[in-house]
Amino acid sequence: MGYMISEDCKELLKDVKDFAVKQIKEQVKQYDISGEWPREIYDQAIEMQLHMMDVPEEYGGLGLDHIDQAAIVEQIAWADAGVAVTLNGNGLALKPVLIAGSEEQKRKCCDIIVNGGWGAFALTEPDAGCDAGNGKTTAIREGDSYVLNGRKCFITNASVADFFVVTAMTDKSQGTHGMSAFLIYKGTPGLSVGNHENKMGVRCSTTSDLVLDNVRIPVENRLGEEGTGFATAMKTLDLARTWCAVIAVGLAQRCIDEAVAYAKQRVQFGKPICRNQAIEFKIADMEIRTEASRQLVAHAIRLADAHLPFGRESAAAKCFAGDSVMQTATDAVQILGGYGYSREYPVEKLLRDAKIFQIFEGTNEIQRMVVGRAAINRH
Amino acid sequence: MNILVCVKQVPDDYAEIRLGGDGKPATAGAGTVNNAFDTYALELAVRFCEAHGGSVTAVTIGPEGAQSGLKNLLAVGAGKAYLCAASGEADEGGTAALLARAVELCQEREGAAYDLILCGKESTDEISGQVGARLAERLGAAFVSGVVEAEPSGDGLKARQETEEGGVVYEMSLPAVLTIAKPAYDPRYPNIKTKMAARKAVIPVLELGAAEPALVSCLGYSEPPKREAGVVIQEKEAAEAVKKAVVMLAEANVL
Repeated sequence: MGYMISEDCKELLKDVKDFAVKQIKEQVKQYDISGEWPREIYDQAIEMQLHMMDVPEEYGGLGLDHIDQAAIVEQIAWADAGVAVTLNGNGLALKPVLIAGSEEQKRKCCDIIVNGGWGAFALTEPDAGCDAGNGKTTAIREGDSYVLNGRKCFITNASVADFFVVTAMTDKSQGTHGMSAFLIYKGTPGLSVGNHENKMGVRCSTTSDLVLDNVRIPVENRLGEEGTGFATAMKTLDLARTWCAVIAVGLAQRCIDEAVAYAKQRVQFGKPICRNQAIEFKIADMEIRTEASRQLVAHAIRLADAHLPFGRESAAAKCFAGDSVMQTATDAVQILGGYGYSREYPVEKLLRDAKIFQIFEGTNEIQRMVVGRAAINRH
Repeated sequence: MNILVCVKQVPDDYAEIRLGGDGKPATAGAGTVNNAFDTYALELAVRFCEAHGGSVTAVTIGPEGAQSGLKNLLAVGAGKAYLCAASGEADEGGTAALLARAVELCQEREGAAYDLILCGKESTDEISGQVGARLAERLGAAFVSGVVEAEPSGDGLKARQETEEGGVVYEMSLPAVLTIAKPAYDPRYPNIKTKMAARKAVIPVLELGAAEPALVSCLGYSEPPKREAGVVIQEKEAAEAVKKAVVMLAEANVL
């Protein structure tokens, strides 16, 4: 199944490309340096409804075909991976609500996003990264309430979010089966945003700690049954990984475009360097890896759309796209040589942005565990 | 206020256009877009109606493929759109006559007259800058060119024209035709919902018939002269290179 974009979406993509080129691509350079969250870019993105592509049509969403959506996300990531990560953060926060939430919870969270708000998914803790089941955050039932205590870290959009999906242990003795998921809204007493990460890349995305200090929430804010939080989180990541890979593909495409443009105009030994096979082959490999990533993504999306198992494919897409974009960004820097290492040129930022795609939403080692186990269990 | 915006489809501004074998600009592969000044006119009309009430209709004379451009305008605030088909080659006077006919047909369909008709101040392909003025003449309407701001004034309209020296504010009765220059803002981006809904819109096609015989005909096009290769100064030392450059500039009477 190819990455085929509908005719109507091609027109929409022209607008998104225009927006990406005119309003994101150059503007993000200053935010990459300052680390400030580029609110004016996001305000415009909200106007265009680029922040709500994961809201289902029945809850006021857009009803986009998922391949069309991938093409749009890729185009934004081409301009800035951090901006794409932020916009995708809403999808990440919404997925557990759509997987496990009640009708009312779904409607409430979708309304927040449709009205220009943000969500955040808070699973990771200082001592529970890949080992997400080892979380220390607790939720103790007290009558009609839960009281949550703990600290989450590396939370995308935490500092701007209007709602949070937070996992916490309701019964530590049950291990992962003792984990539950909760909806917490901004402004709930005891909920605060802690340290902001000063990141290597994707610096237009905000990442912070989330601190829960006796946060009391009503029982109806629990997502699904007690003990289902870990399963909900894993299903969320299965879906989210594909979208993470889409962003990696957009970033990789930018690496190719920058490297090719440079290689065509950089003259050494009397000819453009792209006329050397050493460069041409490098560009070919960048192109092959990126197109292969794109097709893995499309395959995972189509399986998910068809309600077929897609966990292996999603992990494979994320792993391959993440490793590929890292290599492709490294190659782009190499093609630009000294200029590739300079902050005066764009590819140095692309390399810093690329690294996270081997780390977040499950490190690529975790993705290999998912794919490896799927392969081994098949036999 | 009922506003009609006349929009021309032009070759994509970003495409490099060369002369083809027939001596005419080879625009086939360039793709078409709505003329930039016409999109400013549409944005000005939409903002006017958002502030003061009214409706915006877009009209294009062109082939079937021009529907796409009109749909894009429906996504950014035009309430209605009409595509007009005409036969024959029209010069600027002929285009104005066809547009006057289009205005008449659109008004018949709407059952109401347009108070204000906007055109871009020029198209980015032929750049004659004549059509808006000649349309006003045909319609017997008030006319101001190069407008960047407009607001209601009693039963009429106040419009600010941009000039090289600054600006001039005019007051006029309605109906009026304005040509629009680049305002202080850019056209808005569509949101995804309006865009996808607009792509599904069905745009009525009105038949205008044949263009009037052209009074002016184009004899031929020529490309701008190619830039001559520059001079490369290859002195190793910067001081020597600067000295040589200054001598060359002096010889060329630049200094």
